[in-house]
Amino acid sequence: MRKIFSFIRQWCSDFYAIMTNELKMIFSDNGVLVVFFLAGLAYPIIYNLIYSNGSIDDMPIAVVDMSESAESREFIRKLDATREVEVVSRCTDIYEAEALMQQRKIKGIVMFPEDYDEKLARMEQAVISTYADMSSFLYYKNLTMAVNYVMLDQSKDIQLARYAAAGYTGETGIQIVEALPYEENLPYNRTFSYSIFFLSAALMIVLQQTMFYGVSMLAGTMREENRSFAVMPEHLKGRGISRTVLGRGSAYWMIYIILGVYVACLIPYIFGLPQRGQFKDIFTLLMFYIPSCVMFSFAFSSIIRRRETVFVLFLFFSPLCLFLTGFSWPMESFPAAWKYFAYIFPSTFAARGFINLNTAGADLYMIHDQITALSVQTVIYYILSCIAIFIENKVIKTRQ
Amino acid sequence: MKGTLRNLINVIRREIRLMRQRPIYLISSVAVMAFCSVFFLTFLRDGQPKDLPVGIVDYDNSSVSRNFTRQLDATRTCTTIHFGSFQEAREAMQTGRISAFCVIPHNMAEDIQANRRPTFTYYVNTLYFVSGTFAYKSIMTMVNLTGGAIKREVLRARGTGDSAILGRIQPIVIDSHQIGNATADYSVYLNNVMLPGILELSIILVLIYSLGAELKYGTSRHLLEKSGGSMATALAGKLIPYTVLFWAIGIFTDLLLYHWCHFPLAGSIWNMFLGTMIFVLACEAVAITILGFLPVLRDAISIGAIYSVLAFSLTGFTFPVESMPPYIQGLAAAFPLRHFYLFYVKEAIFGSGFAGWHTEAVHLLLFLFLPLLSIHRLKQSYILQNFPKK
Repeated sequence: MRKIFSFIRQWCSDFYAIMTNELKMIFSDNGVLVVFFLAGLAYPIIYNLIYSNGSIDDMPIAVVDMSESAESREFIRKLDATREVEVVSRCTDIYEAEALMQQRKIKGIVMFPEDYDEKLARMEQAVISTYADMSSFLYYKNLTMAVNYVMLDQSKDIQLARYAAAGYTGETGIQIVEALPYEENLPYNRTFSYSIFFLSAALMIVLQQTMFYGVSMLAGTMREENRSFAVMPEHLKGRGISRTVLGRGSAYWMIYIILGVYVACLIPYIFGLPQRGQFKDIFTLLMFYIPSCVMFSFAFSSIIRRRETVFVLFLFFSPLCLFLTGFSWPMESFPAAWKYFAYIFPSTFAARGFINLNTAGADLYMIHDQITALSVQTVIYYILSCIAIFIENKVIKTRQ
Repeated sequence: MKGTLRNLINVIRREIRLMRQRPIYLISSVAVMAFCSVFFLTFLRDGQPKDLPVGIVDYDNSSVSRNFTRQLDATRTCTTIHFGSFQEAREAMQTGRISAFCVIPHNMAEDIQANRRPTFTYYVNTLYFVSGTFAYKSIMTMVNLTGGAIKREVLRARGTGDSAILGRIQPIVIDSHQIGNATADYSVYLNNVMLPGILELSIILVLIYSLGAELKYGTSRHLLEKSGGSMATALAGKLIPYTVLFWAIGIFTDLLLYHWCHFPLAGSIWNMFLGTMIFVLACEAVAITILGFLPVLRDAISIGAIYSVLAFSLTGFTFPVESMPPYIQGLAAAFPLRHFYLFYVKEAIFGSGFAGWHTEAVHLLLFLFLPLLSIHRLKQSYILQNFPKK
């Protein structure tokens, strides 16, 4: 019994010593502080400023009106009145509009053919042509949505007039024209705002990536100076791997739980992003995400030999991880290999969980899949980092 | 003159030896670009998302509602999943399992027959951008088609001819054209800028590392000795191997995109080569400038990393620069990738040739003057090695 107590006491004191030592090293290294605090604190703010508008309003377009009729003018007036586009120029032919598009003064063209009003008068189908600048998908989306809204609205008016002419007036006309009225709901992001969907994923990526770079920089520095963190305190005689990993890990955990609350709760509050989740739920998610990130960083930093190489070799993973969260290209359409590749990164699950909790207003039970995945990752990466330390110790000993 | 040339060759030889000795230079340029090309091209290979899960809450259970479900399921974009109640479907959407769901009201078919105009409701999860917009478009089209089919039945029953029906159901048709990307292919749109973005990231980091390593490992005096004490020769000798390497990678990327993957290119591929080569030079200039102002490898590389990640956002190919706040818009001009993107739009999308993009080429070339501001400082630190190494 006494043996167990003395073991626990020894374990705790080692753990504490390793943790405080790690904290000391973090706070005496400028480079790591820059990555943790400058990047960790500033990136969320910069991204919020960049994407503060969220959507493109009144995108400039040109119209080419060959029919010059009352119908086309009405269509153009309604188009101009949408939130999405603004008619900035009226061109006499398509070449003039094309030239404007090449000069990037307009992002889309809407063209009415000469027979537009004639066809409508003859009760035939009239065709409107649209040309979208595809250099950004948002231009295409804005033009398509605006033209579609006005087209549907105009169609309804025209149909009502036609049925009235055919003798179906009043309620009967409406019953034919709109036999099945529909109601659309875009509950979490009404205006297709870019900031809401981008930031939710990016905020989680910032936590994981800054931690990985910071941990790797520190690990690389120590290896350069031949005092690898894997070298455990002398008196442990080669045992106590768990003390080393957990002691070091809790140092990062303490820093990142604070950064995590800043990134996941304070930033959305400051910049007025939706906050539909409860604080306790988001905090619980962080409690699973941060340990997973710590163990992930430990496991992968074991291949870093020199301090600066982590950026040179691994910086491109930041945009990759962002795509792997499925925030843009949907996860359902991932090729199978990349879907499994995405499971390597804690951010994949954390971003999903955070988006669902914070923006879609899900509760903790609904994200249990993500929480389970994060726990599994934590255990696997913990074992991997223990193995890495064990091997490195062996290597160092044989070298001596 | 002859001496300078000999010195230059000596420095180039020294640099190639360094590149052979330390694999990091080739891994972080060639291997990184190869991996990212494979990743992004296969990741987005479908071009448009397909089989997005869309929930159906069918309270009606009639032939009309089943027909609607089948039709939606048959589209390329959507695949349908049945839910027993609104609650279940909502929870599935909140957990991100489905992109959208439709609620088909009780007695819909009957109400349509009786002219009671039942309301069809749909919900779209717009938190996942691409899936949200595509599911939204598909459902909206399908609802309008269902409404059209009902109208057609009514009109047929009243004795209207089929050709006259079409004009009544859909008086206006939209014929849409996508310039520069006719099929609205997501892969074409993203890869044209993502891959040059990764190239920029790779150039800046590799060059900062290569030039900064001379300081960190104290070899800068040896370098200057080889170059006969001339900073210009030393820098030229160090840069020539990398320039050749990155030009080769850049041209290979262009060939990959426009030749092997058949990405649309309105202009000429030779112009793309030229633009890529100028872009590589501009990125190199940025790397030298950053290191010159901050001749400490570890700090310069952190700044370089922050800078090159920001470039992706500030290029404005996802969210356009003109919709950003004014003080951010100015900042966007400080990234070569932004100018390269504008060049690409002019050449590859509009095919406007030299007359269209010469201003962007000039902007990229202006970056080449930046190192003049910091090169003196870099030389001093190469000679004196007076900055902290750690």
